[in-house]
Amino acid sequence: MASVSHPPWYVASRVLASTLGGYAFTWGFISLGAMLLFAAGMNLEEASSLSSMLGFLVLLWGFCWAFVAASLTRVWSVLAGGGVVMPAAGWGLSRALM
Amino acid sequence: MFPNFRLSMTWLHTWFGLLLGFVLMVAFFFGSLSVFDREIDRWAIPATRIEARPMPSFDTTLAPIFRTITDPDPDELAAAKTRVSQPLPDKLAVMTWSAFTTHRDPVLRMFVEFKVPNSPLPDDHIHGSITIDPRDGKQLPENRLAIGSEFFYPMHFSLHLNWADIGYWIVGFAALAMLAALVSGVVMHRKIFREFFTFRPNKKIQRSTLDLHNLSGVVALPFHFLWALSGLIIFAGLYFPVLGTMMRPLAAAQEKLEATQTGLDLEPSGTPGTLASVDGMVAEAKAMWVERGVPGEVGFLIVHHVGSSNAYVSVYRDNTDRVGGGPGLHFQGSTGKLIHEDPPEGAVSTVNSFLIGMHLQRFKHWTLRWLIFAGGILSSVCIVTGLVFFVEKRKRQHSEQRRSGARWADALAVTTVTGMVVATLAILVANRLLPEELAQRDLWEKSTFWAAWALCLVHAIWRSSAVLKARTSPAWAEQCWAIVVLAIGAVLLNAVTTGDHLFKTLSEGYWPVAGTDLMMLACAALAAIAARRLQRRATAAARAVDQDSELREVRHA
Repeated sequence: MASVSHPPWYVASRVLASTLGGYAFTWGFISLGAMLLFAAGMNLEEASSLSSMLGFLVLLWGFCWAFVAASLTRVWSVLAGGGVVMPAAGWGLSRALM
Repeated sequence: MFPNFRLSMTWLHTWFGLLLGFVLMVAFFFGSLSVFDREIDRWAIPATRIEARPMPSFDTTLAPIFRTITDPDPDELAAAKTRVSQPLPDKLAVMTWSAFTTHRDPVLRMFVEFKVPNSPLPDDHIHGSITIDPRDGKQLPENRLAIGSEFFYPMHFSLHLNWADIGYWIVGFAALAMLAALVSGVVMHRKIFREFFTFRPNKKIQRSTLDLHNLSGVVALPFHFLWALSGLIIFAGLYFPVLGTMMRPLAAAQEKLEATQTGLDLEPSGTPGTLASVDGMVAEAKAMWVERGVPGEVGFLIVHHVGSSNAYVSVYRDNTDRVGGGPGLHFQGSTGKLIHEDPPEGAVSTVNSFLIGMHLQRFKHWTLRWLIFAGGILSSVCIVTGLVFFVEKRKRQHSEQRRSGARWADALAVTTVTGMVVATLAILVANRLLPEELAQRDLWEKSTFWAAWALCLVHAIWRSSAVLKARTSPAWAEQCWAIVVLAIGAVLLNAVTTGDHLFKTLSEGYWPVAGTDLMMLACAALAAIAARRLQRRATAAARAVDQDSELREVRHA
């Protein structure tokens, strides 16, 4: 470990991506997932419960992946990008399904 | 982050494990104690050392008591005042009455929900609650703290930090770190099957600690993972309130649609109404359970829209024979007729309530309950040994480089391991020593807990200077001796102040108190063994250093 040393901002960026980025990505996964399952005919309570349960595994994946992925740019674009696009899509679907 | 996958995972394991290991220790240790929260309650409130009993009559016992609960909890009321746009009225409208009991509860907890008007939150409400002795309906004195269910249990998921739910978020983040530590731990150690069988207690501390860390991690791997995960799932609505915020309009429309289908109104009608015999509804519910081959007692009972013409009563079985929940039966308040029965759970809800049910253990299965307790203790062992290994691995190097990192990690580890046990025993000792009629006795008990823990922190920091010289901090052994004294003291104080000494409780088979006493004695014995071993090792190390310097002197001469 000691053989590789990174500037503090680089480590901080990884930590922020894993926590905040991972959280936003998971929020998106849960909201979009719930809406897709609901649109497919599952009742809303069950749809949100299933997407939340899977969501915690997605949260775990995002948290770990942010540290192991080679490219920091890719980490941020996937987690933050997904964290913006998926909630927006979920929100749009929820309005369309009203 | 690092050129290879395993190095990145190791970094993650080490640093998040250290940072959140202290929180995880609190969550898993108090979580383990919460498996026996009702039993600890019995130890702490001697007046309730009676057999568990079923829900008493609603009509004759509970209803008159519910009418006397007119005020919400003062803390909740104060918090509600800060979030409303207009001043709250003197008396808040009552929304629901409910009572909850389990097969381990000799006392009954009764709750009232009060509506918070003009709040930005949907369905905003606060609670009032009392605990009664179901034999005579008398309220337990308010200054009695149920140390198990009201102090240790909330500690394990909220740390008692309630401002902005910050404690829940810290514990939630720690649970995520636990999951990540398990994944990275498996990645780091490829010889995982061999580690199952490897423990070399007589090697150097660093080696034996790592063995025990791996062993406890691997042997209960599914437990560690599932309990951290289900803990998160229980609070999914808090961590990811998707339906409550972003999708509120859709969720509200769905609730409305469902209400028209089930006939269970979401809002009170606005016209007053009377309540038919709830005992009659309970009798009907029990008859239905018998008919279906699942006879049982009532676990939870709730009256919605209290005092309104569209009030309804929901009755739930106590489900002592299953892990998950069961469907509720809903009766019309005014007529007592069954209006709706929850449909059988779908696949998703079954999985969800199984995960939550395992975590909450409302079932009656003592072997499984003890296994879950053992799982929690193994998780604690895994976390402690991780923290100790962190220090052992670094203390020599840090000492040579004159760095203090290992010292601080060690001081915090002492505080969250032995210090936490000291604080736990201190609150039990205070519970037996404080005068019965002391005003705010519960507050004194809690303060003793925090004071004892703070004292342990100060002591651990003071004594940890030894780590700077690459030695083991004497605080470990010293706090172990404090545990021995407090644990034996608590058992003796219980015998003296209540007369329920071990010979009596064991011969009568009264396990809540006998079990708590025996666990404390076991804890004292373990702490004594640990303290003696630590001190013997320290003496041996000191002798080695002396011989070393003597040799050097001889050479110099």
